[in-house]
Amino acid sequence: MLGSRGRSRSVDLRALADEELMGLVRDREVQAFEVIFDRHASAAFSLAYRMCGRRAAAEDIVQDAFLSLWRSGSGYDQRRGSVRSWVLSVVHNRAIDAFRRQGSRDRRDVPDEGIAERLAAPDATDAEVQRRDDARQVRTALDELPPDQRRVIELAYFGGLTHNQIAQMLDLPPGTVKGRMRLGLTKMRYVLGEEARAIA
Amino acid sequence: MTGEDRIANGHRCGEDAAAYVLGALEPSEVDAFRAHLADCAACQREVAELEQVTGALPESTTRYHVPKDLRRRVMSEVRATPKAQAVPRKTSARSWRPALAWGGAFAAVVIIAVVLVVALSSGGSSTKTIQASTGSAELRITRGRGDLIVRRLAQLPQGRIYELWVQRGSSTPVPTGTLFGVRLDGTAAVGVPGSLNGVNAVMVTQEPAGGTPVPTTAPVIVARVT
Repeated sequence: MLGSRGRSRSVDLRALADEELMGLVRDREVQAFEVIFDRHASAAFSLAYRMCGRRAAAEDIVQDAFLSLWRSGSGYDQRRGSVRSWVLSVVHNRAIDAFRRQGSRDRRDVPDEGIAERLAAPDATDAEVQRRDDARQVRTALDELPPDQRRVIELAYFGGLTHNQIAQMLDLPPGTVKGRMRLGLTKMRYVLGEEARAIA
Repeated sequence: MTGEDRIANGHRCGEDAAAYVLGALEPSEVDAFRAHLADCAACQREVAELEQVTGALPESTTRYHVPKDLRRRVMSEVRATPKAQAVPRKTSARSWRPALAWGGAFAAVVIIAVVLVVALSSGGSSTKTIQASTGSAELRITRGRGDLIVRRLAQLPQGRIYELWVQRGSSTPVPTGTLFGVRLDGTAAVGVPGSLNGVNAVMVTQEPAGGTPVPTTAPVIVARVT
């Protein structure tokens, strides 16, 4: 962890690990926060956009998540996971909160595709190459699940629906929905193996 | 369900772990599962394993560029944040003083102020359950992680919510991100995010819905961890 002193601003912040940057963010170093934002905002926005299907709502959630990180950076505990997973979990929770506040959700069935610009060719840094490889593995693990298991997982995680809501939607007993969730996640855990820990 | 599933404390182990990590339990079920989780090693293990999968799920999404105006807005707000409004690094009586004055308006609904003293054995595997002298709150610590169970806490008016904080050393409490309400009987059970190692107090305040980055009212619960 970096101390708050003795580090010149000339240090190439982009060469620092997230955990080191968070030490500077706690000291209110705007440039360090900017690096964190640039590293993880695309993943955060993509998750929010996938969940909301609307660019404006996704932007609000991402803005809220990053400002929360800035305001309470000292509350971030690296023993609980990476900065990326912290940001993404905040985005996920805020999106679900937004869904549930609305009650009957005002979401479009079809995302406003085209309004958000798909990231076709991200910078091919080593970290980005690794992330693309990770993403491919997770997508494959998800795609290889039986459709009924994949569906309940996607409806729950990305759709923000509770098991009872999914049961009603699919006309299934709640226990069956929970069982499919468990089977699907356990299979993904088996397929991803130790990679899951590294990706998360 | 597997043959290894068992029933503990009236809860069928394994049944809810996947729904919990997916965020798919009903809000009314979450507290009960967390209370069960605090005492069940099998569910703790399953949750930890499945959280690795849910933690990786966001990586499966189609990747989009961050809208430039979003970046501009966030950085503009960050730069505009006076350092004094950022989370202070030292004890700030000032941050609690307006809270005390403000809290007077809600004095009628502040019904408890509990002080717990908890011996925290770092890395220990035992569960410590400390009952407050008033019998209105307890902090359970298992392997350095805490669950706060409250009883007979006041229902809050619309637009207000309870917010959970942790304090390290003599610094100003930092938000845990946990906001909660209580059931009709005034009970609630909430997990304290993160490890309690280095934490010397867990606090609860009443805040505007949505929470705040710094406490704006005096705490209604102070659980000291030593």
